[in-house]
Amino acid sequence: MSYEVMVGNKAAATAVKLAKVQVASAFPITPQTTITQYLSEMHANAEWDFDFVNVEGELSSQVVVQVASRVGARTFTCTSGPGLLYMHHPMQTTGSGRLPVVMAVVHRGYKGMQPDHSDLMSQQWTGWSHWYVEHAQEVLDSILMAYKVAEDPRVRIPVAVGYDGYVLSYTAEPVEIPDQALVDEWLPPNKPIPSILPDEVDPETFSRGWGGGDPQMPWKIHHEAILGIEDVLKETMDSFEKTFGRRYGNGMIEPYMMEDADCAIIAMGTIAGTCKAAVEKMQKEGKKVGLIKLRSFIPFPEKDLTEWAKKLDGIAVVDRSICPGKGGPVYGKLKSVLYEMEDKPKMLQFHAGLGGKEVRTHDFEMIGDKILKAAKGEKVDPVTWV
Amino acid sequence: MIEIRFHGRGGQGAVTASRIIAIAAYEEGQYSQAIPMYGTERRGAPLTAFVRIDDQRVRERELVHNPDISVVLDPLIAKQQAVVDNLKAGGLVLLNTQDEPEDVKLGGDFKVATVDATTIALETLGRPITNTAILGAFAKVTGLIKVESIEKALKKTFPGRLGEMNIAAVKRSYEEVKGPVQATVKEAPEVKADIHVGGYGVLKDVSSWRVFTPEIDEDKCIGCKNCWIFCPETAIEWNEETKKPSIRYNACKGCGVCANECPVNAIEMVRVEA
Repeated sequence: MSYEVMVGNKAAATAVKLAKVQVASAFPITPQTTITQYLSEMHANAEWDFDFVNVEGELSSQVVVQVASRVGARTFTCTSGPGLLYMHHPMQTTGSGRLPVVMAVVHRGYKGMQPDHSDLMSQQWTGWSHWYVEHAQEVLDSILMAYKVAEDPRVRIPVAVGYDGYVLSYTAEPVEIPDQALVDEWLPPNKPIPSILPDEVDPETFSRGWGGGDPQMPWKIHHEAILGIEDVLKETMDSFEKTFGRRYGNGMIEPYMMEDADCAIIAMGTIAGTCKAAVEKMQKEGKKVGLIKLRSFIPFPEKDLTEWAKKLDGIAVVDRSICPGKGGPVYGKLKSVLYEMEDKPKMLQFHAGLGGKEVRTHDFEMIGDKILKAAKGEKVDPVTWV
Repeated sequence: MIEIRFHGRGGQGAVTASRIIAIAAYEEGQYSQAIPMYGTERRGAPLTAFVRIDDQRVRERELVHNPDISVVLDPLIAKQQAVVDNLKAGGLVLLNTQDEPEDVKLGGDFKVATVDATTIALETLGRPITNTAILGAFAKVTGLIKVESIEKALKKTFPGRLGEMNIAAVKRSYEEVKGPVQATVKEAPEVKADIHVGGYGVLKDVSSWRVFTPEIDEDKCIGCKNCWIFCPETAIEWNEETKKPSIRYNACKGCGVCANECPVNAIEMVRVEA
């Protein structure tokens, strides 16, 4: 075990090295660029045996890792914002192929370069698991966990690990680097599934067709496989803690100072860190607001959040992305999850951090005050643009 | 928690300085976080970087808005009241300037320390990259971090000869820094320039970016137009009647390409008086 003060992107590249990825391919785009630089450097220094495939764009980088994964390699790619959109088409095939690719998505907005979650949120239909993480240590740890989950024979689903550009990708902070021997033991080499040919009719590959029969069947199986990630991720978080001594909630969510909370703020990514500082301050002032950090958006932690909702008077959902004309994706999803509940908590929608707008500690204090008021039955605007 | 704001220009190493402080703090068992404020900065554009030091993992990821310490790497930016904007009462500003701390015109309730980091950098590194040349002064006047930890962090960041040169700059600035003294001007003058925003383009006055200013010796000039062709900012105008170039100084950021391209050394780069 060693420590280094490193930026978020170095933490991602370090995880790729620890996981002994066999094939990496990426096209540089700010704020992801330095991951490709670190990987190129590691390749030039022959730090371990892997192929780094330079490509002319993100469509190709996704195809490279897809085919490498199909023949059994452990693979990695990374991108940001518009690069992810360009990757959209082959991402579907990677998802449909049930290929355990791991990708870092360094969030970059569309309306300007600063980060929001629009990029990864726009890829909900590609059949991947989507995680959102908060700090550099969590970037490193989550990429390791992503391989463990993605390659699990019960899962075989690609995982996108999203983290905010600039304020995390380029921010330096202390990171603990686990011992290689421990990682090797905890994360054995990828064991490819027996049938690798895309057109072979085999229930374990769903690349193209189903070989006749019900054309909906691959969708059903794919959907259920992603829902199944919940148990595997929770198991993985437990074994990760046993081996490396760190954990992030149960993997799906990370509650923070929720023990005595009447209300919760739900947030994802770096702003959840700022929210932790705000929650500490509020609880010192006697305000019973905690944070539930959402780590996995797909699959959505339906069971966990339903359990929490039973205990809470109010939930403030902070969405860092918006489907224009439709609204915040986390708020919409959570509201539908809680529909069947009797005696539901009050819910408020907050739009924050879009286009990279800074979300400050006092913004979360405002959010906390509003949800406490709403929970008491006072009239509060249901939607707030922070 | 201690919060620090760095002011500098692209190319002076404010981001590297912020990371070296973060590494050095961690070497001493503190947690740290170094956030650069990136936009589309280029060499010469004003920029900002931030550091937090705390005894627990830093959770906040907003920028630093009320710093305890402001560090200014550039002598011309150091003249702007904005560098002490929102500095905590009783805080500290460390300026790269040739002025004595008592002569600094920035106003408000804070302490002032000064060091001529540009001269130190030019004499030890051969370039006006002032980031390491201010870190020794930082260690001395803040007392937050030992100078040995900064040297250790520098060795990690710049292995070999480059590291040794930078350590020499650190040692000199540790010796030469003056202050801190209470700011002599009590009333804060109005903040005129927004130095937090990088900017660039033909409409923008970039004259404050220069560390060196090109001056043309018309007697030596042979009218070859090389400077006019090579100026990346189209800051050089051609006078067809006199067959001589002239410089539009508000468009010149002092890159020195013209002086480098002149075949007869008719352009001299003159250090800007800070």
